[in-house]
Amino acid sequence: MKTAKKVTIKKLPTGVPGLDEIVGGGLPEYSFNIIAGSPGSGKTTLAHQFVFANATPQRPALYFTVLGESAIKMLRYQQQYTFFDPAKLPDAIRFINLSQVVLDKDLGAVLEEIAKEVEKANPAVVVVDSFRTMVRKPKSDMDLQSFIQRLALSLASWQATTFLIGEYAEDELRDNPIFTVADGLFWLRQTTERNSIVRKLQIMKLRGQASVPGLHTFRITEAGIQAFSRTFGLTARKRNPPGNRRLSFGVPELDKMLDGGVREGDSVLIAGSSGTGKSVLATQFIAEGVQRGEPGIVAVFEERPEAYAERASSLGLDLETPQKDGKLTILYLRPLDLSVDETMQSILDAVQRIGAKRLVIDSLAGFEMALSPGFRADFRESLYRMIFALTGIGVTILSTVEVDESFTEFPFSTYSISFLCDDIIRLRYVAIDDQLRKIMVVIKMRGADHAKEIREYEITSKGVAILDRRLTDYQGLISGIPVRLKRSDQEADDSEAEDQT
Amino acid sequence: MSTPPEMRDLAERLIAYESDADKSSDTVQSAALRVYEKLRLSLVAFAGSSAFESFALRALTQAKAEAPSLGAVQVAADGTLQGFDGFSHQMDLDLTGEEGTLLIAQLLNLLHIFLGEAVTLCLLRDGWPGTAFDVRS
Repeated sequence: MKTAKKVTIKKLPTGVPGLDEIVGGGLPEYSFNIIAGSPGSGKTTLAHQFVFANATPQRPALYFTVLGESAIKMLRYQQQYTFFDPAKLPDAIRFINLSQVVLDKDLGAVLEEIAKEVEKANPAVVVVDSFRTMVRKPKSDMDLQSFIQRLALSLASWQATTFLIGEYAEDELRDNPIFTVADGLFWLRQTTERNSIVRKLQIMKLRGQASVPGLHTFRITEAGIQAFSRTFGLTARKRNPPGNRRLSFGVPELDKMLDGGVREGDSVLIAGSSGTGKSVLATQFIAEGVQRGEPGIVAVFEERPEAYAERASSLGLDLETPQKDGKLTILYLRPLDLSVDETMQSILDAVQRIGAKRLVIDSLAGFEMALSPGFRADFRESLYRMIFALTGIGVTILSTVEVDESFTEFPFSTYSISFLCDDIIRLRYVAIDDQLRKIMVVIKMRGADHAKEIREYEITSKGVAILDRRLTDYQGLISGIPVRLKRSDQEADDSEAEDQT
Repeated sequence: MSTPPEMRDLAERLIAYESDADKSSDTVQSAALRVYEKLRLSLVAFAGSSAFESFALRALTQAKAEAPSLGAVQVAADGTLQGFDGFSHQMDLDLTGEEGTLLIAQLLNLLHIFLGEAVTLCLLRDGWPGTAFDVRS
């Protein structure tokens, strides 16, 4: 027997960058949706973006305004956004004011007026802004419920995708019939965190398809709303199976310590105090990649890209040419109120633009400082999502982190994020023979073998150079204040001879 | 505020267009009044009668400063003009009658100030479908 096909629900573009991914590919056609949130949270802008993305002269959008924001002022401000195309007015987008009907008549008359306009225009999209003011005086709960039911049915029957916009508080969710009837419920929030505004949206309900759960950051710019999915738009991307390819650091001795180099798709953490050469190593890693035909991204927070490239140049590493050739992007991210998701979006855009294989984040402390205070609390969780998403598509990430030098502890990071990293390389100072020298040790390489020895290194004009001599005469190197072992004269002579060779 | 020349020019063209379009009819309304009425209907549908009334009041006040003969004209709550017919006969004789042109120009100027040229011209397309007006500076 032939199986009857299920109904196919077409997904409409939301017109909001990032939101299609969050709603599961687009907004279900003919759905009845609510956009709720506090004043200034971006409700009208979201509706406008949807309208401008979908309205055509053949299937226009009807935008009903009620009491509240005047249509004239609304358009005055909305046209400042780049998505606003005045050529779409009035054939593809019609604004209709219902204030008089709402003021003079009952909900039945309002419904009649809407139905009349819908019948006349055959719209693809209907928006009621603000629905809250339209239904402020129902005769009874039943009156309201009946109105909502009939409105939803009527608009769906006319094959319109509908948005009702309203200022609702979350504690109204339980008792308001509108939320029961709605197919989709978009909740926009904005909170003040110290001196920053944090905007987040949540798809609280969306019938017929799976949306990405949770709170997603969004930003309102001159282009309108841009949403940043918690999954960074990578849910549809297949995760790359971990490969066995090793990526060279550009420091042969370090490659040996890593049993051939960093495993492709790993997340590497270089931890050390100020001046230990974390950034130098990171620069060598990215430059080596570029030289081997692996495009790279460097996300810097503490210095300008020009300064970063100049410093690399002093090590004999050319980061200017690959930037010009599109093989390297140095991103400077420091607007001070970023969310991790926005930072990620910038990085992802760059990764996709140049097909990056290596990413350097220099440094995590700078990254954290660039975030809005409200996002710093979630830094670890956000970092986890970011690393998981990027390594999943085969990008090898190297992050640097500054740790406070202590002579009683040997911390890997101040963020307790070592579990996020596949590989950890620790750099530190040690006091030996009245000198402040530097040592390096590979703390871990997930699922792979690595050298266990502690190696001394220097930062030369060509970058990090690991010395041949071994510090086998010392005990307690990782404490930073090692103790020289007592040895026989013969052993000391042998060791000295070895050092000289 | 004196009427900007480009708005005056646009008002004159609208009035002329309306005059040409309705030459054959027996309407007693002046072309300027018909332009006003079309703008009123379009803007009331778009922004509501109270929004239109506010705009019309402001436009009338501005126009009165330049044309004291508009002194008797008033804007009703629905945005219609009262007292206009008192000199509409005169405007029938002269289709670019100064008072009507000034009032329409001031109304257009307010729309231009608040909505900009592009959206204002789009709204005009609503009242005059199939025509393309522009703002000549």
